[in-house]
Amino acid sequence: MTDPKFNSGLILPNRRRFLQGSAALAAGALAMPYVARADDKVLYINSWGGPWLEAAKANLFDPFTAETGIEIRTVSPVSFAKLAAQVKTGVYEFDVTTLGGGDIVRANEAGIIEDLEAPYEGGLFQNGVASHAFATVMAWRTDTIKETPKSWADFWDVERFPGGRSLQRYAARVLPIALLADGVAMEDLYPLDIERAFAKLDEIKDHIRVWWTAGAQSTQILRDGEIDMIGIWHGRYFEAEDAGAPVAMTWNQAEIDRAYWVVAKDTPNMEAAKLFVEFATSAKPLAGFASQAKYGALNPAANEFIPESAQPRMPTSPANYPLAFEQDMSNWGGDPHEVSARFDEWLAS
Amino acid sequence: MNRMISRLSEQQNLWPWLLLLPLSAYLLVFFAVPLADVVQMSVTEPTLGLQNYEKVLTGSLYRKVFLNTFMTAGIVTLCCLFVGYPLAYLMAHTSRRNAMLILLLITMSFWTSFLVRTYAWMVLLGNNGPVIWLIQAMGFEEKPHLLFTRFSSTLAMVHILAPYMIMNIYSVMQKIDKSLILSAESMGARGASLFRHIYLPLTAPGIANGSVLVFVICLGFYVTPVLLGSPREQMAAGLIGHQIEEFLAFGLGSAMAIVLLGVTLVILGIYHRRFGLDKLWG
Repeated sequence: MTDPKFNSGLILPNRRRFLQGSAALAAGALAMPYVARADDKVLYINSWGGPWLEAAKANLFDPFTAETGIEIRTVSPVSFAKLAAQVKTGVYEFDVTTLGGGDIVRANEAGIIEDLEAPYEGGLFQNGVASHAFATVMAWRTDTIKETPKSWADFWDVERFPGGRSLQRYAARVLPIALLADGVAMEDLYPLDIERAFAKLDEIKDHIRVWWTAGAQSTQILRDGEIDMIGIWHGRYFEAEDAGAPVAMTWNQAEIDRAYWVVAKDTPNMEAAKLFVEFATSAKPLAGFASQAKYGALNPAANEFIPESAQPRMPTSPANYPLAFEQDMSNWGGDPHEVSARFDEWLAS
Repeated sequence: MNRMISRLSEQQNLWPWLLLLPLSAYLLVFFAVPLADVVQMSVTEPTLGLQNYEKVLTGSLYRKVFLNTFMTAGIVTLCCLFVGYPLAYLMAHTSRRNAMLILLLITMSFWTSFLVRTYAWMVLLGNNGPVIWLIQAMGFEEKPHLLFTRFSSTLAMVHILAPYMIMNIYSVMQKIDKSLILSAESMGARGASLFRHIYLPLTAPGIANGSVLVFVICLGFYVTPVLLGSPREQMAAGLIGHQIEEFLAFGLGSAMAIVLLGVTLVILGIYHRRFGLDKLWG
């Protein structure tokens, strides 16, 4: 049990798959920490799946492997809990992942991500390297919503726009939207008026048929017409549109989040992980990734490689950005963690 | 001579234990150790003490979710009983060939992954699915909401768990001595009275077995209520997952899991004293 070769080679030829079951804890106790030192020519990345994965594979993963010889394998779903559990147990299922603005503050405070250096000027926030911007936009079914809704206030207007609604089960993204619906201007949102947001949410609660929790789920319920209006990530919206579903969206009052690459604290694949994060946020690969998945590239150097044709679907394009607002996690208006707990109680009540 | 025999029987008595060794080792490593870890987390995360249990037992959200979990499990058990009993009766009293056919259909459904069956219900009950189409074809204007309600999750859970009920009742019904029924009839028992006084009591062990199995399995259901149910009617397993995923509340999640496990054990304990657990497996 103390011989590392024995553990990595014979007993656990494929540590990741083996650990994916409920056996993780037990195996962790038995084999820790040697299991994690197995194959250092493989880097494990936590994947969002869908259009994200397609774009990342073509523009980030494959070119990185070609350049460095380090193979990349993906692990899904994206799980903040797993990131935390890995550090605790010393058993690593993935080395690198991306986090949104709300989660990265929490991750950095909890000490579950590695200290990084900025690979480009202004690229570092809370030990995450800024990669791309994505938006939560309002979308609807054109077969059931005849009039064109314009803002989140219309989303709340169930008289004029009757039909089922859906929002993400994620307090940090839903509260600002509720305030916009209540008439707060985009520039006056932060710090958020939490009480007012919850009061506004009370109004729509009975009409929310699904609080979606996974990107693929949001595309599915929009595409299949399970709901008529939805707050959805823009990439997931375009997936439904490209599948031929009768849907439309607006960039007005779109809520922009930033995604950051982070490295799991103390991962045995540290070198490769840091190398990858630097690669993924360098101008050309990031430009390719952002162009294909229609994200806004956050490294300014990437912009010169992004074709004009990709702009209309990007939240940060000159035409769309002025219509949108950015999440401001540093001036959010409360402890996001406590607000999430309250949101959960509110949901079940 | 006597001593030899006793030593021999001692050795023989050792054999079953030896055979149990691999299984016990397996259970120890993959069940007892992680479970001990969960217990430990429930009293040490984030700080040492019983505050997690206090929260689970007194917090309104948790009480609500636990109550809902037991209520749902109860409803599902009753539905399985009402669906399963007549079907088991049919199987026990029809020709052998028909019984085999029904059994085949039930086991086919039973062997299909419950994830597949859950998604199948999503398609069937969806806004553009066949059930809604049928309702509209019958002339109803208003589209009812079937998906993401208590109805849809209960329906799917009954579908998934009914085979446990049917098998248990069927196995008991099959063994009923026909002469008991005949002698009851010769004493003048007819119809409802025959069923209530003779047949139902004879099948009671099957009902008890099936109900306990369905109830206990249903208590821990995760995927089906999360995918098909409404967020207002969460079940315990879904909330445990959410606590850990969303709040990294390993301690609180562990405490909830232990409470759920404790209640399950109490139910099984009561059942054991009343009927004996070994009866559960035929």
